[in-house]
Amino acid sequence: MKKNRRFFAVLTAAALAAANLSGCGGSGQNGGGDAPAQAEDASQGGKEGKGDPGELNIYTWAEYVPQDVINQFEDETGIRVNYTNFEANEEMLAKLETSKGGDYDIIIASDYIIKIAADEGLVKELDQGKLPNFKNIDPVFQNFFYDPDNKLTIPYGPGIPLLVYDPSAVACEITGYESLWDPSLEDSLALMDSERVVMGMALKTMGESFNTEDPDVIRAAGEKLMGLAPNVRVLSQNQTQDYLLSGEVGAAFLFTSQVVLALSQNPQLQVVYPKEGLGFGVDAAFIPSQAPNSDNAHAFLNFILDGEIGAQVAQQTYYLCPNQASYEFLDEEFKKSLVISADDIPKGEFIQDVGAEATALHEELWTEFKSALD
Amino acid sequence: MGHNTRKKRNRWWMTVMPLYLFTVFFVALPMVYLLALSFLTRAQTWGVVNEFTLDNYLRIASPVYLNTFKESFRMAVLTTAGTLLIGYPFGYLMARLPARAKSLMMLLVVIPFWTSALMRMYGWIIIFRSNGLLDKLLMGLGITDSPLKLLYSYPAVLVGMVYSLLPFMILSVYSSTDKMDWSLVEAARDLGATKWEAFFTVTMKLTLPGILSGIVLVFIPSMGLFFIADILGGGKVMLVGNLIQNQLQSGRDWPFAAALSVVLMIFTSVMIWVYRKVSGVKDLEGLL
Repeated sequence: MKKNRRFFAVLTAAALAAANLSGCGGSGQNGGGDAPAQAEDASQGGKEGKGDPGELNIYTWAEYVPQDVINQFEDETGIRVNYTNFEANEEMLAKLETSKGGDYDIIIASDYIIKIAADEGLVKELDQGKLPNFKNIDPVFQNFFYDPDNKLTIPYGPGIPLLVYDPSAVACEITGYESLWDPSLEDSLALMDSERVVMGMALKTMGESFNTEDPDVIRAAGEKLMGLAPNVRVLSQNQTQDYLLSGEVGAAFLFTSQVVLALSQNPQLQVVYPKEGLGFGVDAAFIPSQAPNSDNAHAFLNFILDGEIGAQVAQQTYYLCPNQASYEFLDEEFKKSLVISADDIPKGEFIQDVGAEATALHEELWTEFKSALD
Repeated sequence: MGHNTRKKRNRWWMTVMPLYLFTVFFVALPMVYLLALSFLTRAQTWGVVNEFTLDNYLRIASPVYLNTFKESFRMAVLTTAGTLLIGYPFGYLMARLPARAKSLMMLLVVIPFWTSALMRMYGWIIIFRSNGLLDKLLMGLGITDSPLKLLYSYPAVLVGMVYSLLPFMILSVYSSTDKMDWSLVEAARDLGATKWEAFFTVTMKLTLPGILSGIVLVFIPSMGLFFIADILGGGKVMLVGNLIQNQLQSGRDWPFAAALSVVLMIFTSVMIWVYRKVSGVKDLEGLL
C-alpha cells in the first residue's frame, strides 16, 4: 500500500539521521532489472523494429501499481517493467530534477507536486493519438489545477479524506472537524501526520480555505489547533485505520483507501463528511519530459485506462475509480464499500502550494503544536 | 599518516589514496555542500535560490525551534542516563563472568543488531499497545483494571531509545572493566576498604573511560534519531531529527534543514571535544 511509504525511508534514514540531505529513499525494485539510469540506451521507440520491445521504468510509491497489472502488461507487450519506489513526493521531484526529466518513463505522484514539476518543465505532453482509451476517463476527475487542459496527466488514485469513528467508543456526536475539539474526545483521535491537512481542518472550522496565504489567518488557525492537542492520541500517515480497528482511538481522519479498508473490517464504523467542507486529492500518472521510453509509457497509460484493468487497479488501491469504462467490471462488494460518490468531487478543495512564507509559517506552527502533544 | 609516504618506498601513497579520496568525496565534500546550502535561500515553490542569507540560522534561534533542540537535548540526556543505569551494572557484571558465559552474553547483546531496528520497534508496539502484552499482564496480576495508554507517549519513546542504544553502553563499560587490573581492588580491600569503598575509589575510576565513551556513543546518536520518536511516539514527539526530515519533505526548505544539520553537528562536535578534555583521550579510537 502506498501509505506504507514512510516505512522504507525510516530504515535507511536511521543511519543517516543528522545529515540526511539526499532524500532517503529505499529504492526497492520489483520487476528485475537494474537502476533505471541504465535504461537510457534501451530502445527509444523500440516497438518499431521487430526486435526487443524494450523497458518501462515506473517510479511511484511501493506497491502502488498492483503486481498482477504489471505482470499482465509485461505478458501482453513483452516490455520489461522496472519498478522503483519513492516514499515522499518531494523525494521524487528532487530525483526527477537531478535527472532533468529523464531516467523514468511513468511517474505516479500527488497533485500539488505534479503542478510544481509541470511548472519546472519536467512533464511531457501526452500524445493523445497513442492513447485511444483516454476517452474512458471520467471527466469529473479532469481539468484540475495541475493540468487544466488535460494535456499532461491521467488520474490514477483520487480520494477525499473523511472522518471515521466508532460509535461505541465515542460519547459525542461527530458532524465535522469542529466536533473533534469536544473535550469528551480526550486522547482518542488519530490524525494525519501532515501539517497542511491538520492545519487545514482548523482553517475549515474558521470558514477559511486550506490554501490561504494570509499569515494572520494561518496564525489564528495555529492557535485554534493548540486547543486540539489534548485530544490527539496519535499522528500517522500509514495504516491509520488500524488504530481505529484496534480500539486505540475512537475517531480518525483517514485517506479514502484507509476508509475503505476500515469499513471492510468493521461495518459498524460511522463515516462523516465534515460539514465545514471536504478536502480532495488526486494521485495522477505522467510521463517525464525526457522519458527514455516514451512510446512504452504511452502504451502503459493506455493499458491501465482499459476498463477491465482500471477496475483491477481501483480494487487493489482502494481509491476512487476515475475510469468510467471500469464501472461495469467493479465487484458489487467493492462498489458498496465506496462511500464517496462522484457528486462530492466538485465540493472538495485541493491542498496546494502556498509559497515560501506561508509554508514556513505552517512548519513553525506545526512544530509548536507537536511540542504540545507529548 | 602523511609521514608514512616518506618512510616507506615511494609507491606507498597508492594504498592510502583510496582512503583519502573516499574521505574527500563522501565526507568532506558533502559537508561543504551542506554548509554552503545552509546559507542559501529557499525558492518560492521548489528548490534553492543562490542568494546569501543568515536567516536560516536566525530562525533556529526562534523559541519554537530552540525548544525542539531543548527537547532533543532532554531526550538525549534521559536516554544516556537510562543506558548508564542499566548498562553499567550489566557491563560490569558481564566482565566478571567466567569466559564461556561471557562470550554467550556478548552474543546475546549483539544479536539484536542482526535484525532491523525498525522491526524491533514494532516489537515494542506489541508490548505497549492498548490491550497488548503489558496491559494484559498488569490486568492479569490485578495491578490495573483497565488498559493503560502506554504507547504514543514520551516515556514510550524513551524506552525505545534506551533499548536501542543500550548495547553501546554495555560494550563500552564491559571492555574497560574487562581490561581492569583486579589486583588493585584487592589491594584496596587488603588496606581496609569496604567493598563499596573499593568500588567507588578504585573500580569506578578505572572504568571511567568506558563510562565516558559509552556516554558519547549513546548521547550523540540519540540527538539525531528520529524514527523511534515517529513510531513509538505516534508522531507526537518532535526531535531535531524529525524537524530536519520535515523541513526536507513537507517544508521543502532545504537550506533551513541544512542549517539545522550544521547546528546539530556543531553540537555533537562540542560533545566530543568535551569528552576528549575530560577523558584525556587524544583520538576517537579510544571510544571503544
